[in-house]
Amino acid sequence: MKMHTNLAKLYWPGVAVSLLTLGPVLAFAQQAETAPATETAKQAQPDQYQAGARQGRGAANNGGGRMPREKTIPKIESGKWTGPRLPDGQPDVQGHWSNTISNHNNFTDPGGGLPYDNKGQPRAATSKREDRAVSRVTDPADGQIPFQPWAAAKVKEFQQNFHNPVKPQYIEPNARCAPGGIPKSFYWHGYEIRQYPGYVLFLFDNGTRIVHLDGKPHLPQNVKLWNADSRGHWEGNTLVVDVTNNASKSLFGRTGEFASENVHVAERIVFANDGSRFNVEATFTDPTVYTRPWTATIPVRRYTEKDKPDDWNFIVYWNDTGKTPVIERHEQICFENNIGFGNVAVTATK
Amino acid sequence: MYRPSRFRNLGASLLLAASFALASLCSGSAAAAPGEKIPRLNGKPDFSGIWQTTSAADYDLEPHAARKDAPPGPGIVEGNVIPYLPKALEQRKKNFENRNTADPRLKGWTLGVPRAIYYPEPFQIFQRARDLTIVHQFGHPVRTIHTNGTQHPKGDTREFWLGDSRGHFEGDTLVVDVVDFNDETWLDSAGNFHSDALHVVERWKFLDANTIEYKATLEDPKVFSKPWNISVILHRHREKNFQLIEDYRYTVDWESYYPPKP
Repeated sequence: MKMHTNLAKLYWPGVAVSLLTLGPVLAFAQQAETAPATETAKQAQPDQYQAGARQGRGAANNGGGRMPREKTIPKIESGKWTGPRLPDGQPDVQGHWSNTISNHNNFTDPGGGLPYDNKGQPRAATSKREDRAVSRVTDPADGQIPFQPWAAAKVKEFQQNFHNPVKPQYIEPNARCAPGGIPKSFYWHGYEIRQYPGYVLFLFDNGTRIVHLDGKPHLPQNVKLWNADSRGHWEGNTLVVDVTNNASKSLFGRTGEFASENVHVAERIVFANDGSRFNVEATFTDPTVYTRPWTATIPVRRYTEKDKPDDWNFIVYWNDTGKTPVIERHEQICFENNIGFGNVAVTATK
Repeated sequence: MYRPSRFRNLGASLLLAASFALASLCSGSAAAAPGEKIPRLNGKPDFSGIWQTTSAADYDLEPHAARKDAPPGPGIVEGNVIPYLPKALEQRKKNFENRNTADPRLKGWTLGVPRAIYYPEPFQIFQRARDLTIVHQFGHPVRTIHTNGTQHPKGDTREFWLGDSRGHFEGDTLVVDVVDFNDETWLDSAGNFHSDALHVVERWKFLDANTIEYKATLEDPKVFSKPWNISVILHRHREKNFQLIEDYRYTVDWESYYPPKP
């Protein structure tokens, strides 16, 4: 069988599916935020999971702590950087990272699942709100995005039609292999940071951000991009990034929150000096969509060789052909997954 | 799908080695002159920068006169003719006839290796001691060329758009071995193609600080009767403030549905 590099992950919002038994129609329960068992995928692709150097997809089945979930966002203060530096003076924050509270199922109630069922009716909560992770919205204090009424109505419309996307705009763009964009790339799958004189690269699971530290100006404002245009500089332990030119086509998650192409995002990416974590504090200003600026905080932790690849937060592979085994990121490319995420998920046969 | 071979048998290796020897004898092109300054990182050539070819290679790797959808070009294939197996040649002819609809490029899909190198859009190289990261403007994919002494991973199951790349320096030449391709990509806009058995060996060498000579040997026993060589020149973009602009054009058919509008 031929499998696109990125296809498997898109199929499991809530359940593992056997890739060998995929029919043209995939129906799956969508709401569960809990980690899926990966045994099915393992059985489906025995050649990929053989013992040997390639640990990766599904390799962490045996209690590997897949999708660990925290409920709070630890504060990381902006200040001096006392950790290691690169030859050009940048704090060295290279490596593998992933969010700690949840994926993109629900932006303001991470771990809360989707708010509507497949008939467009509100889902009954399965746990108390205070038992789940805090909202990513840290300002305003109510944890909600201050949408203008028309925009709030659009969000609700998207949520109610998510499972049965009878119009193209109800298909979450990530389900079409669209780049995750801003801010979702930070809480989609795990990702890698690589640094160079003049640049910080975020190699996301779907999409790449080249953060310029080189002093070049923003692109002309009529050029709108999936991953926007990022100009940054370091202030101690904080990478300050000015984000413009955002096409804003990437929604914030399966709950459909959005910005417009007028949005300006000011990111402060604050790294802990022990190198273990960072927080993205992103302030969104868009007078055409919101009633006031608001701030999201996305908590992130580092993944290292000590962690087990889990196909979600830590998508890497061991290569033991050199002097010492190393972890490697493999190509992540996705083009033709022209499906919905909901109960009608259909993929074209090849 | 189990893929039995990466062409590691001795015969293929010897054949490839011989073709390299021949290529270097015939090419005669000058490397950066001794003493000439080229960018270096830890003593090795530093290919960091934004690069692009000016050749017409992507229109057709082989020599061709002008036609409605392509300017003329002298081709970049050593010996001018790609050595197709008979059945593959038939496929190439079909591809050529259908090129204006069948070329994967038209869907905005990642171009593959080596096509992404000589496609007429820029790409940027970011270099560390352990690897080179290439971000192509077209499709915005990321390719890593590992230069840390690792080899292609054991096991034999992956299929990548851009292959699995392992490089090392031979003097001032970066030599990259690329395997583990899928069969979704073409080699140019004229229908030249390959299978998932493609094996590419690239040789990157500075001619001067702003010019790279890029050579590649392509081997694919399902499609070609013998390995064959290409060579293009890559130029550094030196325009003020020049930079990549992401090109995710596979989204254009449906991107207008987002975001919601009042």
